[in-house]
Amino acid sequence: RHGCEGSLMMPHTLCRHHLQASLDVRFPLPFVVPVRTKKRFFVPPSTKIKAKMTASQDQEANTRAAGFVIRQEYMERSINIACTAGVFDPYIPPEGDARLSSLSREGLKQRTQQIKQGAASQLAIRKIKEHDPEFTAKSFAVKAQEIFVEAHDSLTQFNKEKLHSLVTERCYPEMVRGNRYKTLRWRFVESLEPPKVVHARCPDMVTKGNLYGQVTVRMHSRQTLAIYDRFGRLMMGSEEEPRDVLEYLVLERHLINPYGMWRLHGKIVPAWAPAKEPVVKTIMIPGPELKPGEEFEELNYEVPKPKAVQWHK
Amino acid sequence: MATSVMSRGGQITYCTYYFTCYSCRLFAFHKPQQHFIHTSVSLDVNKNWDRKNLQVFPPQQPGEAQRPAEVHHCRRQIKYSKDKMWYLAKMIRGMTIDEALTQLQFNDKKGAKIMKEVILEAQEMAVRNHNVEYKSNLYVAESFSNKGKYLKRIRYHGRGMCGVMDKVHCHYFVKLVEGPPPKVEQKTGFDQAKEYVEQLKSRTIIHSL
Repeated sequence: RHGCEGSLMMPHTLCRHHLQASLDVRFPLPFVVPVRTKKRFFVPPSTKIKAKMTASQDQEANTRAAGFVIRQEYMERSINIACTAGVFDPYIPPEGDARLSSLSREGLKQRTQQIKQGAASQLAIRKIKEHDPEFTAKSFAVKAQEIFVEAHDSLTQFNKEKLHSLVTERCYPEMVRGNRYKTLRWRFVESLEPPKVVHARCPDMVTKGNLYGQVTVRMHSRQTLAIYDRFGRLMMGSEEEPRDVLEYLVLERHLINPYGMWRLHGKIVPAWAPAKEPVVKTIMIPGPELKPGEEFEELNYEVPKPKAVQWHK
Repeated sequence: MATSVMSRGGQITYCTYYFTCYSCRLFAFHKPQQHFIHTSVSLDVNKNWDRKNLQVFPPQQPGEAQRPAEVHHCRRQIKYSKDKMWYLAKMIRGMTIDEALTQLQFNDKKGAKIMKEVILEAQEMAVRNHNVEYKSNLYVAESFSNKGKYLKRIRYHGRGMCGVMDKVHCHYFVKLVEGPPPKVEQKTGFDQAKEYVEQLKSRTIIHSL
């Protein structure tokens, strides 16, 4: 047989080799061993633990007497944190961005404001260049768009490994949540304006030297998105109709780590963004609690609208 | 610090060996016995019914008829007899969900209350997770019960005789499908009789002229 000893506790058929087939199944069972609960009236002397405990205690005493000091063992497990928990000092996009043409007066004002980036951003970019000498704003913007497109493509195919390398751990659950049993069809049609770096910050977490770089990139593009539910029915969007999308992407990198990569960290949704398209199906919104005798129509209840606040996803 | 697995007479123990900077093996301390295996009673529970909810269908073309949403739900090891549960399961087969819930609510059996909970859970799941639009637009497509794991006890008879008393448990499964329930054609006695007569008329004698 394959070298596993059958014993009283673990019958042969349930050894690891026999269970290998079940482990290869799509939803593998845990390695579970049934324990016989038969009462034993004869307890063999080897199971008596008391003698062993005293023996080990004597041993410990001997070692301490001999002078060998063993450092205390901590039952710890180290965790590697490769990304920050949020966007630090988020970029506030100016109102009416991408709606005003450059020729009008307001458009010119916006352009001038955009051109002179904040001093903090310049400092941050300088810091990033210290750690990554090949960093330039223009090349990075193009790279950021490529990362964005690749990340969303791997999301549609649901390629977990590739997605983890393109997207930070904070962004991953937000992208993936709820989509496991749905089919996503996403296509990047074209880019309407060349992507641009608008904002950069270099926060350091916990200790002083632990630098993370966060860069915000503005992207105006055309995309199609269609979400199908578990049964192949269209839930939202359409595959043929492309939409113009203005996005502010935040990419992050652990600058100190020489093997760090720029990964998508989140998106900034401005306060003046138009409301999202509603889902195809009707949804019930919980209404006010009625007292006995009251009618809902008489209350003139208005559905509360969410406040227009900038949030970053 | 290195760990090694030793199997000694069937028991698996993990022993840790400590190395100092002199890289000589010092002492082996027995940690309190850490068994990293999970011991449980039942290994071979069939979870196929729950897995039916994880099946993803490919997107439909715009011309195709819409596939109705299906939700599978079950409850395991209900303390009730599978034969008694069958009567209730058979009763609600093919009913709309509201009709089924009202019937179960006013039924006096113990299993009715449990079944009602199961169906309400399934309805909630359907609306929340499986993109069902209207919670009343569901009907019971499949509903059945089968035997769960029985506990065995001793039943004392007269004259010092013993028997095995089974503490019965059952599983209950239900499948809700979106849409109006399919209409079952009601055959009257007259139709059945007509069919019978036609069957008799269409008989032929083989090898005849």
